[in-house]
Parts: sequence; C-alpha cells; structure tokens
Amino acid sequence: MEVKSTPSQQPNLLIDQAIVPGDVVLHLSNISTNKIKLGLGLRQDADTIKATNMGLLKHSRPNKYWVESSTKRYIPTAGDAVLGIVIDSKPDNFVLDIKGPNLAFLPVLAFEGGTRKNIPKYEVGTLVYVRVVKANKIMNPEVACTDANGKSAEFGSLKDGYMFETSTGLSQMLLSSPTCPVLDALGKKLSFELAVGLNGRVWVDASSPEAVVLVSNSIMNSEFLSDTQQKIMVKTLLKKIEL
Amino acid sequence: MSSSLSTYAPKKLQRRFENKEKEWIRSDNRGFLQCRPAFLKTGSGNAASGSAFAEFGSTKVIVSIFGPRESKKAMMYSDIGRLNCSVSLTTFATPVRSKAMMGFEQNEKDLSSMLYKALEGVIKLDTFPKTTVDVFALVLQSGGSDLSVIISCASLALADAGIQMYDLLTSVSVARVGNNLIIDPTNEEENEQDGNLTIAYMPSRNEVSQVTLTGEWSTGKINQAMEISVAACFKLGDVLRNILRESE
Repeated sequence: MEVKSTPSQQPNLLIDQAIVPGDVVLHLSNISTNKIKLGLGLRQDADTIKATNMGLLKHSRPNKYWVESSTKRYIPTAGDAVLGIVIDSKPDNFVLDIKGPNLAFLPVLAFEGGTRKNIPKYEVGTLVYVRVVKANKIMNPEVACTDANGKSAEFGSLKDGYMFETSTGLSQMLLSSPTCPVLDALGKKLSFELAVGLNGRVWVDASSPEAVVLVSNSIMNSEFLSDTQQKIMVKTLLKKIEL
Repeated sequence: MSSSLSTYAPKKLQRRFENKEKEWIRSDNRGFLQCRPAFLKTGSGNAASGSAFAEFGSTKVIVSIFGPRESKKAMMYSDIGRLNCSVSLTTFATPVRSKAMMGFEQNEKDLSSMLYKALEGVIKLDTFPKTTVDVFALVLQSGGSDLSVIISCASLALADAGIQMYDLLTSVSVARVGNNLIIDPTNEEENEQDGNLTIAYMPSRNEVSQVTLTGEWSTGKINQAMEISVAACFKLGDVLRNILRESE
C-alpha cells in the first residue's frame, strides 16, 4: 500500500493551506536551497518534512517554514508580551499563570528601577502585563515587567477594566499590522484602552461599562469574520448605543 | 430476576448464530467490509484545550484534552511529558444501566490503558517535558467498536488542542464470526464474535501503533483481517483529514 503524499514537488502549493499532522510538506530531494529553517509544527523525517501540528503552512523568504495555528493553550516564546495572573508570591519572584504548560516566574527585581526596597505588592489574582524573557520546554518560563532595554514601557499590573480569554489566533490577529478592521472601526467611535496578550488573554478598559462590554463583544465576535464582515458587525453593535 | 431492587432489562438474546456454516447477515444491511457512516466534529467542549465528538452509528464518544499543564504529583523532572488517559462510560451508555459511583469498572480500566498504549506511540512526548496532558474520553453510548471510535476521536481532539503528533491515528476493529470477517461490529455482532482484531494505524507513515487481538484466529484469517483493517483505517484517515482541514 502506498504512503499517501500530497503533491509537494514545489512547496509553494501548500503555502497558506491547511495541513494536518502527518502531511508531507516538502521532499528534500526536490528543492534547490541548501538550508531550510523549520519553525513550530514541522519535523524532518528522513528525506521529507512532515507536519506535526494542524494549521496553516507559512513561509517567509528565503527559507523559513512554520505552521501557524490557533489554540487555546499558549506555548511560551521569548519576546512575547502576555497577560499573566499572579497565583503565588515567593521571596524572590512572583508565580504567574500564563496559560502555558508551566507556571511563569516574575523576579521581584524585574521592574524599572527595581530594588529590594521598592518591591511591588502584587496580591494573588492580580492581572499583570509582562514580557517573556526566557522560555524553553524544560524550564519554567521567566517573565519581566521591563522591555529589552530595561524600561518599563507600559508593563506592570492592570487595574480596573475587564479581562477575557480568547484563542491565540485571535490575539495574533489583534496585534497584526496594519491594524485589524475591528479595532480600526471601534477606535473611530470609542476611546478605550486595550492590552493584548499573545497567550490568548485580552484586557479592555474604557470610561463607561457599555463601552467595555461593546469592545469585548466585538473582539470576541470578530475571530472568524472577514474584513468587511467585521466592519458591519461593529457598526451594528455601535448602533445599539446610538453612536 | 428475583431481587426487588433490580432494574428492568430486556431479555438477553440467545446466540442466534449457532450454525457456523451459514453466512452472517448484518442487521443494518451493511456489507461485511462496510463501516458505519461516521460523524466527527472538533471543538465541542469549551473548557478543554481541545475536544472532539465522534458518532459511528450508535456509538457516541466525546474526548476532551486538557494541557499540557503542570504535573501535580511529585514534581519530579522527566525528559518527556506524561500522558494520562481516562475513559469513562456514562451510566446510560450500555443497555443495562451500570452501577454508578462504584469507582472504575473493569471495562473502563481496560479501555483507558489501551487508549494510553495507542496514543503513546503517536504523540511527541518530548515537546512538553515535566508537564502532563490529560485525555478524558466519555462514552455517551456504547454501540460496538468502542475502543476504535475512542482512539480516532482522541487523535482528532489532540490535533484540535495543538499537541504535536507524528501523524493522525485512526482505528478500526474487525470481528470474526464463524468464517466471516466483519468490519466495525455493532454490539450485537460483538456478542456473537469468536475473535476480534482492533488496530490503531497511522495513515501517512504506514505504521501500526497498536494491535489488540482476542479470541480464536487462524494465521490466514489474521492476515486477511489485518489487510482489511489497514485499508479501512487508510480511508478513515482521509475522512479525519478533511474534517480537520474544514475546521481551520
């Protein structure tokens, strides 16, 4: 019985296509470049590249391939900005839940101008906007409330507002540039503050509760809508509060 | 039934198939090599990281995946992730209501460990060291070939949850009734069977992850049954693939 293989002599045929675990993505004997970089979701199996995750195959010049998928759980990656919830505080660091496989550690000194004398008091349940510093699969990830240069750059605890959970795919869409249509349409009529964590958590704050509810609902609805559908959806919702 | 506390159950059918020379006729008019029509859907459960629902004829199963998440028991370091499988039957899954709250029935323990063995070969455990992935399978109605449906549904749910796997896992069971090999047996057919072969197969890699063989078999019949089931798993693999692609 033959092993089923998708037509992948030219890898271009599968770019931006949906693939499932086990799909053959590339035959190494057929491609010209010497080096290929494999990202998340791909694996080398003898002389083929196979997918291990379900998602869309993405490619960036000249030779990078990866699988983009939207999941409910987050895989910590260094450099991501995420929203964590404090679940414990130890003498040296806070322990945060960032919706990943392991709990993350936030060192008490990882703040701009942080010293032993001015450690912030984060109680259990505080929502914190942090940046992932170190993440690999064998260790608990380390996060910090500073950016790469050591400045605070809006990181820290988020007060008031409303936090809801989404899939990682929706978070990525919200942070894409150019601005996604739903945020564009909302921003034209309402003023609100938004923090998007790549781990599938979004925090919204506005001056009135109606605005907060409206922004949250629009974002949650917009995941599978096209650009025009998003604009129409926002317009319908805004009509409800007469804007 | 003498005890006043027993529940009503239909009278157990006598073995209809006494004469092994005759051809077995399937009650739902399927051919011997025809599987039941299947309905599979991902993303049904909300709290879980991934979930899938499968309905093969009258066998209905929901599988939910939680994790990878922190191992609660003794945070011992391990290079590879831990997989924890648990199959439970609802009390209304079988024709006779099972005793609720009696802890795990023996059947459930068997199914759980067989599901574990099947999934162990297909999940890339080294991608989530120190953590645990929990697979919870709930059988809503047990209509035959339960383990096969659970395995196929679990692999769909794992793909939905984003857990890295070498390949999709499909599973089919073949029953031997007299001289006939019938695929995807229902409950009634399983009661009459003389032997059962369940395999879990990876379509793209052409590898078998698990073989469960029970009953009386001759070597020729085993060969035949393996070929039939591998061919069926292959087709089921296409079905699973289409469903996953549509759900993206």
